[in-house]
Amino acid sequence: MTVLGEFALWISLPVALWGMFLGFAGGRTQRGDLVLSAERSIYAVFLLHVVASLGIVAAFLGDKFQYWYVASYSNRELELFYKITGLWAGQRGSLLFWALLLGFFASVAVFTNRNKNREFMPYVAGVLQTVLAFFVVVLLFAQVNPFERLDFIPANGQGLNPQLQNYWMTIHPPTLYLGFTAFTVPFAFAVSALLSGRLDARWIQLTRKWILTSWLFLSVGIVFGMRWAYEELGWGGYWFWDPVENASLLPWLTATAFLHSIQIQEKRGMLKVWNMSLVLMTFLLTIFATFLTRAGLIESVHTFAQNLQIAYIFLGFMGSVLALCAVLIVYRLPQLQSENQIESFVSRESAFLFNNLLFVGAAFAVMWGTLFPLITEGVTGQEISVGPPFFERVNFPIGLALLTLVGIGPVIAWRRATKKNLQRNFSTPVVAGLVVAAALWFAGARHGLALVTWSISAFVLTVIATEFWKGTKARARIEGEGFLLAFFHLVTRNRRRWGGYIVHVGFVIMVMGFAGAAYNVDTRHHMMPGDVVEVASPLGHTYALTYEGLSVSMGQGQRNLLWQVIATVSVVADGEPAGILNTEKRRYVTSEQDMTEVGIRSTAMEDLYLILSAVDDTRGALSADSSAQGIDLQVLIKPLVGWIWFGCVMLVIGTFVALWPSADRRRAAAETDADQAPDPRPTPIGSAG
Amino acid sequence: MKHGRFMVGLVGVAAVVTYLVWTGVSSTMVYYLTPVELMERIEEDPSFRDLGVKVSGKVVPGTYDRVEGQLLHRFDVHDLEDESVTFTVEWRDALPDTFTEEVEVVLEGRLNEAGTFEATTLLTKCGSRFEAAPEDLAR
Amino acid sequence: MLLGVALISAAVIIFIVQPVVKGLHASLEREDDELTDTEARKRVALLALRDVEYDFLAGKLDEEDYRAMKSELTAEALAALEADEAARAAVGVTTVESSATDDLESEIARIREHIRSGLVCSSCGYANDEGSRFCSSCGTALGDRAVG
Repeated sequence: MTVLGEFALWISLPVALWGMFLGFAGGRTQRGDLVLSAERSIYAVFLLHVVASLGIVAAFLGDKFQYWYVASYSNRELELFYKITGLWAGQRGSLLFWALLLGFFASVAVFTNRNKNREFMPYVAGVLQTVLAFFVVVLLFAQVNPFERLDFIPANGQGLNPQLQNYWMTIHPPTLYLGFTAFTVPFAFAVSALLSGRLDARWIQLTRKWILTSWLFLSVGIVFGMRWAYEELGWGGYWFWDPVENASLLPWLTATAFLHSIQIQEKRGMLKVWNMSLVLMTFLLTIFATFLTRAGLIESVHTFAQNLQIAYIFLGFMGSVLALCAVLIVYRLPQLQSENQIESFVSRESAFLFNNLLFVGAAFAVMWGTLFPLITEGVTGQEISVGPPFFERVNFPIGLALLTLVGIGPVIAWRRATKKNLQRNFSTPVVAGLVVAAALWFAGARHGLALVTWSISAFVLTVIATEFWKGTKARARIEGEGFLLAFFHLVTRNRRRWGGYIVHVGFVIMVMGFAGAAYNVDTRHHMMPGDVVEVASPLGHTYALTYEGLSVSMGQGQRNLLWQVIATVSVVADGEPAGILNTEKRRYVTSEQDMTEVGIRSTAMEDLYLILSAVDDTRGALSADSSAQGIDLQVLIKPLVGWIWFGCVMLVIGTFVALWPSADRRRAAAETDADQAPDPRPTPIGSAG
Repeated sequence: MKHGRFMVGLVGVAAVVTYLVWTGVSSTMVYYLTPVELMERIEEDPSFRDLGVKVSGKVVPGTYDRVEGQLLHRFDVHDLEDESVTFTVEWRDALPDTFTEEVEVVLEGRLNEAGTFEATTLLTKCGSRFEAAPEDLAR
Repeated sequence: MLLGVALISAAVIIFIVQPVVKGLHASLEREDDELTDTEARKRVALLALRDVEYDFLAGKLDEEDYRAMKSELTAEALAALEADEAARAAVGVTTVESSATDDLESEIARIREHIRSGLVCSSCGYANDEGSRFCSSCGTALGDRAVG
């Protein structure tokens, strides 16, 4: 099976090259047979990669340690589940997995467009095959072939790093990869539009759902990663501004910018070059993200070992894509002229433009900070790096400006907003924001940045709530429907608009959760069994924590576990018993390091987070010495952390609402055109006054 | 006129972002040095001590010591190439799980007058973090 | 194993080479029921018109802003409508409105009617009530003049 997989990977290269060549040739000569062959070759490459992936999985399941990749990421004792996910646990496998997902999305794109948008498809197929071929070349020729064999057969593998043996870690990379790879499809459509010269609004309509889908996966993948860091890394944080995290944030920022700016192009025929560039940039940034992770040029906790060969291949690819696309855009400039001009500084168009500028500005700043060590080393020979303080300093103001725009966008009028329009729509929300700020101030909140964030959030939420309320009311009045039904129809008749608002609500909730970090509590205690500490939370709760003692269990070789030392802490919250929390240290046979498992008690408003920082005498504890029970316990209180995860759920729901297909095809097309009004049967034109 | 205002707005945003990046870099940047380089710099210019730096080095086996109950960890770090250049590091937080007495660490902080490095961040750096080199398998 | 290898290669090669050898063609033409560019523009214009209507009804726009916006958008919608009809005429497709249930289509029909009855003001584009003799937005006499 594994040999078959290796063979499948090899022949996928000529197949991909064939498809790439025929796709472009078919587009150029307009020969349908070449195009059909190119499209079929996409299915073929996907199936070949399925076979290749199955080959890897089979090698994991069969403990085939003669394969370097299996020997490095598995051992006999590894759980079945992690043997299967071994496919993407390491650099080599994850590259194959990447190609597999890309092939999947490419096939879906070809399949869904088998009867429509045909004039785009030759080049779409060509571009998709080019990117696929690139990844196969990397796999085969950059010393990352997952099928590489050792010249001896180790008795057992090294096992999987314990930190990767976590639920979130198995779904975080695939989700991110789904987002990264799905973005290749809009890129292919954009290049196809450029090559074929069909630069009207259609390519954007065709790709909107693809972009939204990949944006969704990217967002969720990033949040999964945060969740993993929060639960597994054991220090209570969820974001480091680590280069690899930044790399996943970059395409997210430009994709988000694009999702907003396409609306201007759809409505007003403006920003065509800008939108084209955003698609190209986002695609390049997804490649850049893999590049950063793979090449190991920048130090990060995520990076795999340094591999310069990969670095050069990736740089070459990104450079040529960038150059070719730039040439294409310049060549097509006459067809990318703006049809309208922005009429007023105070208008929704302008709000969108500022939104875009801020997103791209943030992306630029994050990129600059990430690459700064490389740049300074190249220029001055002295490596200088910037850390989290840099990213926070730059991104907090930008983030707040964006947050404010979330509130301004929905109600400011298109084209030009008059003073009355502003007064009418903004007075209540502004008051709401100020009231919240005042209330928090009197409640004792003094952290400036957090106060501002929560105040603006209140403003934004009021704006969106008013939108929903007014829309429902208008519809209920005109259609004579009950409020619930009116609300339901309001959303379903224009899913794109209202789904977008739900996404915004989710985003605001997440930002409020981020701001909660300003009130983190961090205390450390040295404790003996029976000791009690009291910790007060900023929200007024008190936790009395009693350290009950250590319990030790020795692993019987199962799940690679050598031993566990578990500290049991009973929690009394505000005088009420609130159960028991365990935090532990573990040792796996495959690793020389201890692993810390934290204990978390989540409530809607705050998390209680216990870390077993150290055991006074590990050896004594293991040999059941009753005097060796002292521990260092770190007690953290994390206000509003739960809001981040909850906000992400809202974001997913909103995106689904926006993505849900319409029943009727013509109607679906109409919905992609523009925000559809919530369908109040319009009063006869002109009589409304 | 309207466009003039608009351009001012756009350029304004671009300028603010640039300003944020610029001041952000200059106020948060740290030199990334090896212990040998750090010592040389301080010898040249003693005021260099006050600057935050990032240093990578290797933990000296057998020097790790924990002050019970205070979450204070002490260990010595030596230069990767020149083992004779060492200093003591004080770290007042939980150690990452990847910390052992054999790892290479990346520290941020400053070297005080007493020659002790007060670290504010500690990262462990090991090529084999998620991946083993092929030759490691041939034990 | 060798058999598997042979089978896979043969299947893949036949599958992708077949169209070229046998002359199977994939369509490269736009399908009839897809939106054309002018059609898309028409819809965007009409939807913008509806949005303004909605914003007014929901109380987000006041009367004055509403009227100003509305006349502007109406003029644009009409232009888009005509461009679309011209494009259809150019390719020889008669106007086929597929589904009468489509709200947009009835909107189009209504506006078209207004054009015919000359109720859309030729100077400002405002769509007036039936029976109006003067434009209620700018006061121009409506007469028989249709928008040209």
